[in-house]
Amino acid sequence: MKPKPNLEAPILHALRRRIAKQERFAPKRRALPSGIISLGAAALDDALPDQGLRAGALHEFQPAAHGDLAATVGFAIGLLVCILRTQPGFVLWTEAAHQAFRDGALYPLGLAAMGADPDRVIEARGPKSKDILWALEKGLENAALTAVIGVLPENDRAYDFTASRRLAMRAAENGATALLIRSTTLSDISTAAETRWSVAAAPSAPQHRVAGTIAGVGVPCWRLDLTKSRRGTPGSWRVEWDEETLSFRLAALLADRAPVQAARRAEQGWACAS
Amino acid sequence: MQNKDGLAPLETAPFVLFASSQNGQHIFAANAAAGRLGFYKGQPLADARAIFPTLIVEAADSEGDDKALLQLALWHQCYSPFVRADAPNGISIDITGCAHLFGGEAALLENLQQRLRRFGLTEKLGIAPTIAAAFAAARYGPAARGVITDETLHDHLAPLPVAALQLEAVTVAALAKVGLHRIRDLIGKPRAPLVARFGPQLMMRLDQAFAKQDETFGALAAPPFYRALRRFAEPLITMPAIEYVVQELAADLAAALNRAGKGARKAELSLFRVDGWSETLAIHMSALGLSRDGRHLARLLCERLDKVKDHRGFGFEAATLSAFDVEKYVPYQNVLKTEEKRCKRPADLARLTDRLVNRFGYRNVTRFAPSASYIPERSASSTPALQGAAHHDWRTHLRVLQGGNFPGRPLLLFASPEPVKTLAEVPDGPPIRFEWRRRWRRVARAEGPERIAPEWWRKYDKTNRQTRDYYRVEDDDGRRFWLYRDGLHERPGDKPRWFMHGLFA
Repeated sequence: MKPKPNLEAPILHALRRRIAKQERFAPKRRALPSGIISLGAAALDDALPDQGLRAGALHEFQPAAHGDLAATVGFAIGLLVCILRTQPGFVLWTEAAHQAFRDGALYPLGLAAMGADPDRVIEARGPKSKDILWALEKGLENAALTAVIGVLPENDRAYDFTASRRLAMRAAENGATALLIRSTTLSDISTAAETRWSVAAAPSAPQHRVAGTIAGVGVPCWRLDLTKSRRGTPGSWRVEWDEETLSFRLAALLADRAPVQAARRAEQGWACAS
Repeated sequence: MQNKDGLAPLETAPFVLFASSQNGQHIFAANAAAGRLGFYKGQPLADARAIFPTLIVEAADSEGDDKALLQLALWHQCYSPFVRADAPNGISIDITGCAHLFGGEAALLENLQQRLRRFGLTEKLGIAPTIAAAFAAARYGPAARGVITDETLHDHLAPLPVAALQLEAVTVAALAKVGLHRIRDLIGKPRAPLVARFGPQLMMRLDQAFAKQDETFGALAAPPFYRALRRFAEPLITMPAIEYVVQELAADLAAALNRAGKGARKAELSLFRVDGWSETLAIHMSALGLSRDGRHLARLLCERLDKVKDHRGFGFEAATLSAFDVEKYVPYQNVLKTEEKRCKRPADLARLTDRLVNRFGYRNVTRFAPSASYIPERSASSTPALQGAAHHDWRTHLRVLQGGNFPGRPLLLFASPEPVKTLAEVPDGPPIRFEWRRRWRRVARAEGPERIAPEWWRKYDKTNRQTRDYYRVEDDDGRRFWLYRDGLHERPGDKPRWFMHGLFA
């Protein structure tokens, strides 16, 4: 049977564009050079409505468990690298001063190791989460910035639907991307974020660079849950960082340490026998 | 004069403040009613109480007095930017070139007297061509104040007591002993014997009073190069009105800087309250050119205005905006192509930096810079963003540090490494278990060591002098840590301890 030509698609597309213009999230000030950030992994990009993350929107990241903040920051920085690769401009990194002291401060050499240029990052430390939200908003208003990253302290109550909507609208107006790292607690409020990711650290693929009984540490690996997507569908992936292409890729499913353990047993067995 | 609670003294009841010294408590100050009863400064408090049992007595607060005097001196900046506080009870203003704004020197004196009386203060004022003469006229001059000019300087000073020359009490007493009580007794006397007997200070003060020798005026604040001023017929009290004035002042200052071809790095807004109090806000700018933009100045100032909100009192009657750190401004064309990848519009970034700095402080808005050291906490530094951008070769820096393109540096670094408890298979190997923040973790993967020796050319305290062995480890959950052992087992004298220094992505 001959497939029916899809006549509705162009009409739908035109209608969608007309509505988008009237939406409050429509970009106003400048045209976006590339509105979509490709994550690199096809499976990830396909799951997102625009074949990638939308620039000029608010994206939220949550550590899946208490100790996963570093992994969450790592994933957000990975996304930042994807943004910086294609778009010019600076980045504002902002967090509470006490949080930087307790959970570790952003280390420029680590940034450089992941492929981000530390010269393009401006760091601002405020006393409270209210100040962080203010800085993020002012950053999004500024034409020199292409992205802002904020880390909200735990048990923060300043961030609510209104605050998220302010950020989302500023981001949409200016085309800058807002990445917001939130704590695990108080996560049940609804926000105006485009996507929300729950990030957990995952065991990396073992590397046998060094001789010894314990395998070497591999590239950063995350277990991602897309818990909210305004126009797409949620999903779950295991993703790792590709150091060569500076993008994400799906982790091999068999990246387990079982073979290493087996090798160790065999070694011990041989030692016993001799 | 105020007591510890800052209460105003009672007008009609006899009231004294006392100060404690080694010899007991003495009257430090007495109000008019107490003065009429014969109480004087320095009288023992016990005597005074015996004479007048219902005397109201409070402890003096000299520190509070000094602070209040300083605050009042700052308020006087609405007359002239050159103001100083002469503790314990005086304020000097250099009104050179300012008097005409008030309609002449006599009118200025009249104006100032009225204001001070309205504050409830008892004042004694004097205007003279020299600092020393003004000091003498205000404190020892006749009650009918007048403006002393160059011509009348001699006539005015001659009848005043020698103490008016700010001499030490010993000198005054010694002068009195030989019959030299008034300034006129000193004029025309041979200088050499006087200097030989009473020291050089006497003649110096006399010369300073008669403008034969210069005297320095240590003003409280550096004089601004450019200043915009507004005075109001009615005190301003609502925030929108204050904001409007700030915008006008900013436009004035920016216009003045533009006309002169200058730019400023710092600006200070002073608001003068009707009751002798002033509020000052300072803002910093990262780029000279931005101070020439009145709207940017106004926005920075308006963001800080909530500091003033609770101190409005009965309203502000004058406001000034002064420019500091003024430099010549050379306009330049924006970089066209080479910078494009990093920044589209540098001026926009400077605007954001200004706003962040004015809210978070100079040290809290930073940019990164590499520094030549292998020690991780020293191999990168944060420089204030106000100092401007620089290009750094981070790739080379990383390669030098690690000897390869290997991602061996963590994303998050602890300002102070945290001690961990470890369990290792061999003493000089990576741990197989470690406890950090009250949780034991099993090491699934480990890599290392990366050995970093201390810099022998630096002076350390003893704990920091050991060689560090860094390990990248990953626990069962896949969390990656940067651990190091401080000290080597095989080296005698070292006391190896383990620390957590950073977290990987």
